[in-house]
Amino acid sequence: MNAPSRTLALPKIANTLEARMLGLAVVLAIILSFISPHFFTERNMFNILDQSVVLGIVAVGMTLVILTGGIDLSVGSVAGLTGIVLALFLKEFPIPVAIVLAIGCGGLIGLFSGVLIAVFGLAPFVVTLGVMAMGRSLAYIVSGQRSISGLPMGLQDIVYTTVLGIPTNVIFLLGLYVVTWAWLTYSKGGRTIYAVGSNIDAARAAGLNTLFYSIFPYVAAGALSATAMTFSLAQIMSADPIGGNQLELDAIAAVVIGGASLYGGRGSIFGTLMGVLIMVMIRNGLNLLGVSPFWQGTAIGAIIILALLAERLITWKSRRV
Amino acid sequence: MVDGSKTPEPLLVARGVTRMFGSAYALSDATIALYRHEICGLLGANGAGKSTLSRIICGHLAPTGGEILFRGAPLAIGSARDALRSGIALVAQETSLTPDMSVLENIFLPSYAMPGRLSYARLRRKAREILAELGHDHALPLDMEVRRLSAAQRQLVEIAKALALNADLVIFDEPTASLSPTEVDRLFDIMTKLRDNGKALAFVSHRLEEVFAITDRVTILREGKTVADGLPTAGLTQNDIIRHMVGRDIGSVFRKTAADRDMGERPVALEVTRLAAPPVVRDVSFSVRKGEILGLGGLVGAGRSESAEAIFGLRHRTGGRVVVGGKEISPRSPIAAIRAGMGMVAEDRRAQNIVPDMTVGENLFLAQMGKHRGFGRGHAARRRQAGDLMARLGLPADRMDANLLHFSGGMQQKVIIARWLLTEPEVLVLDEPTKGVDIGTRQTIYELLREVAERGVAVVVISSDFEELLGLCERIVVMSDGYTIADLPASQLNEESLTLFAAPRSSAERNAAFLRDLVSSYGGTAFWGLIDGDQFVCLAVAEDSRTAPMHLAAGHVYPVRETSMPAALQARAPGIVVEEDGRSTLLTRLSNRRGHDLGWIGLSLPPGASIPDAQALSARMATLFEIPKPEEIDA
Repeated sequence: MNAPSRTLALPKIANTLEARMLGLAVVLAIILSFISPHFFTERNMFNILDQSVVLGIVAVGMTLVILTGGIDLSVGSVAGLTGIVLALFLKEFPIPVAIVLAIGCGGLIGLFSGVLIAVFGLAPFVVTLGVMAMGRSLAYIVSGQRSISGLPMGLQDIVYTTVLGIPTNVIFLLGLYVVTWAWLTYSKGGRTIYAVGSNIDAARAAGLNTLFYSIFPYVAAGALSATAMTFSLAQIMSADPIGGNQLELDAIAAVVIGGASLYGGRGSIFGTLMGVLIMVMIRNGLNLLGVSPFWQGTAIGAIIILALLAERLITWKSRRV
Repeated sequence: MVDGSKTPEPLLVARGVTRMFGSAYALSDATIALYRHEICGLLGANGAGKSTLSRIICGHLAPTGGEILFRGAPLAIGSARDALRSGIALVAQETSLTPDMSVLENIFLPSYAMPGRLSYARLRRKAREILAELGHDHALPLDMEVRRLSAAQRQLVEIAKALALNADLVIFDEPTASLSPTEVDRLFDIMTKLRDNGKALAFVSHRLEEVFAITDRVTILREGKTVADGLPTAGLTQNDIIRHMVGRDIGSVFRKTAADRDMGERPVALEVTRLAAPPVVRDVSFSVRKGEILGLGGLVGAGRSESAEAIFGLRHRTGGRVVVGGKEISPRSPIAAIRAGMGMVAEDRRAQNIVPDMTVGENLFLAQMGKHRGFGRGHAARRRQAGDLMARLGLPADRMDANLLHFSGGMQQKVIIARWLLTEPEVLVLDEPTKGVDIGTRQTIYELLREVAERGVAVVVISSDFEELLGLCERIVVMSDGYTIADLPASQLNEESLTLFAAPRSSAERNAAFLRDLVSSYGGTAFWGLIDGDQFVCLAVAEDSRTAPMHLAAGHVYPVRETSMPAALQARAPGIVVEEDGRSTLLTRLSNRRGHDLGWIGLSLPPGASIPDAQALSARMATLFEIPKPEEIDA
């Protein structure tokens, strides 16, 4: 009910949650640049983008899943497992083949969850909780409980090549967001994802392929977890079975900060990008300030809750109908 | 029962009540007075504020302004709990039940809010008493979970819940929406009893016939204001009420089609043969021609919506053929049906049609996007048609980006119908297209459907509102318990005959058995039917194989003169009438407890047969013949 009265007071763009989150990100950046002289430097800006790559890629898959009204708790452990799998493949195959195979593995794991959820009607929370446990356990089994190093040096090229001074991993991240935004906004498939999350019965009755688009987000989430891990491996040049630990929590937090509804149907990929940047900036700022890593969880948790509470208070009046 | 001798104090008076949602007024100046020993109808178009006012009186909502006096003292209601304590109960539209709890727990849910220990034995005894009073002590198992009950049974639980509170003031918010005519009769009996016991009742309804049948006074709201305050029902006509509700004369809602158009020549657009989708749809056959409006009538639970879903690919079917435009389709999902040229407006607007997080525009294009083959959304190709359609339906073009849920039910329904028109269907199925739609918008929808049919679309309308079916459709197919049992031109039917055709098959079968029984003891032909002007509507028939056949079949209408017993049917009197050719026919009139005409039961004997004792036989017919019981309707 907020539309008529509010649009009069503010331009329409400021009326969206994404715009307010962009504002929050900017305010946060300004505050951090006052607190720490090292924050607002070109080098640190690239740092932040660089640190956003893994979380940013995983959050895209998580956005699709959450838009359909589901949740994927397995992305962190799938990232860990596919990281190990990629490291092993790299010893056997040329780099591009190994990467494609690892991403395929991630997609297959997603297909497994998606079919159980969409065809057999199991609860997404429970299915992906199971896959999360299995993924982490298999990561330890396959790796022999050791981290795997000695990866081919050529792998670094996907991170350390630059185009017009911008690293390729950042270009990939931004490109992924642009493509996903266009797909979600202008394609039949993208709109079907929203319709599935908002009212799956109506979507089905209107002739949309609800089954396919209930499964697809989980496949995308799995494949994107593997993709994110590829960039991570290229940076640290080793794979650890604990890799990607708790990535699912950061990804869910980023999507929710970005304004998506956990009931599905509402949210945007731009909002998710804002959520990712806010998460990474907070962590980056806390590191620059030398805050103990043990306090960082408390600080990040508090900021997430405060951001959502503020959002709820802003729209409180209009929600009470 | 307006008590004229002493003008009593009203039990509840509400004056100048206002309520705002955001910056919009839902109620701007509502006034109502409710008296003991009276049933007051609360009427108004959709969005007039009936439900808001009901919920304010019951404490579910706080008013923004105004004054409410209950028993002469200001009503200080902070919560629904306060209202229950003070003796006000609301019979809501089955929405206030907890589906996972048992019937017993639901009936006494309000007492969970009261302090003290619960005695289940006592509650159980009390529940039985209440249900017995409702006449449903056997139909409603106390331990069954509410989720497994039919819509009608849930409504009964709602009513029992209100009675359990022993409230002095009971508000019935559209209680008849999911009840069959017989159940409505039962409910009215209960309401009459409550009134005679000194309770004050308010009755919210869309159905004007019911308002005339049960209320003593009416209060009418329009756009949040009371425009008629407690007018005695007896002095009003249907037109008076409509004028108050919409603020203008709208004439007759149903413009009769200009002469029956000849449909025989037109090609069949949809043909359904022996469709089965257990457990609800058992054997359904009908066809509809291009440009025809076909009605699918029957009681709630007869399997009409389920048949439509099976045809459209939303429900698994086990047998039967569906032919659309000459091609057989067997869709497993709606997309095949849509591409074959079908469209379906499902019954539940909120649950099955509207995508709440999408704009008006996207909701409008949704089926077009489903039909469209390709990667994009397929909006661009239809943008002009969409603009024309929205202009035709009176939706401002600049509101295409608004949220559809902010519009009235009528406008939402128009958008959903437009969604399907945009796919240019050959067959359009509409399930209860005017459910919860106010009378003004209803007329627009009827006009739209006629227009669509005139352009050559085959339209199938499913409706429980028999008046609507008769007024809108050219032909009506009646369903009962999953079978199609009659297929007749609307001009040969009226509300009584439709009601009787739609009666549940279980009692129809018992009646048929009784007719067979008659025939086996006396010979000849036994029948149950209606005499309507010079037409005889045959509802059931049994014939002795040894006698000359009378060529009557259930589900058919015959001109009285062409039957073999014209004299008897014209006489329409109890007793034996002998025809010119010597055939003798005994007729007995049937009616239910409220005096509703249920037609005639008869035994016709060929010339020369021995004639039984008329009086004894009449008595036997009238007592043994089973009148459909409400509890069987959804069993």
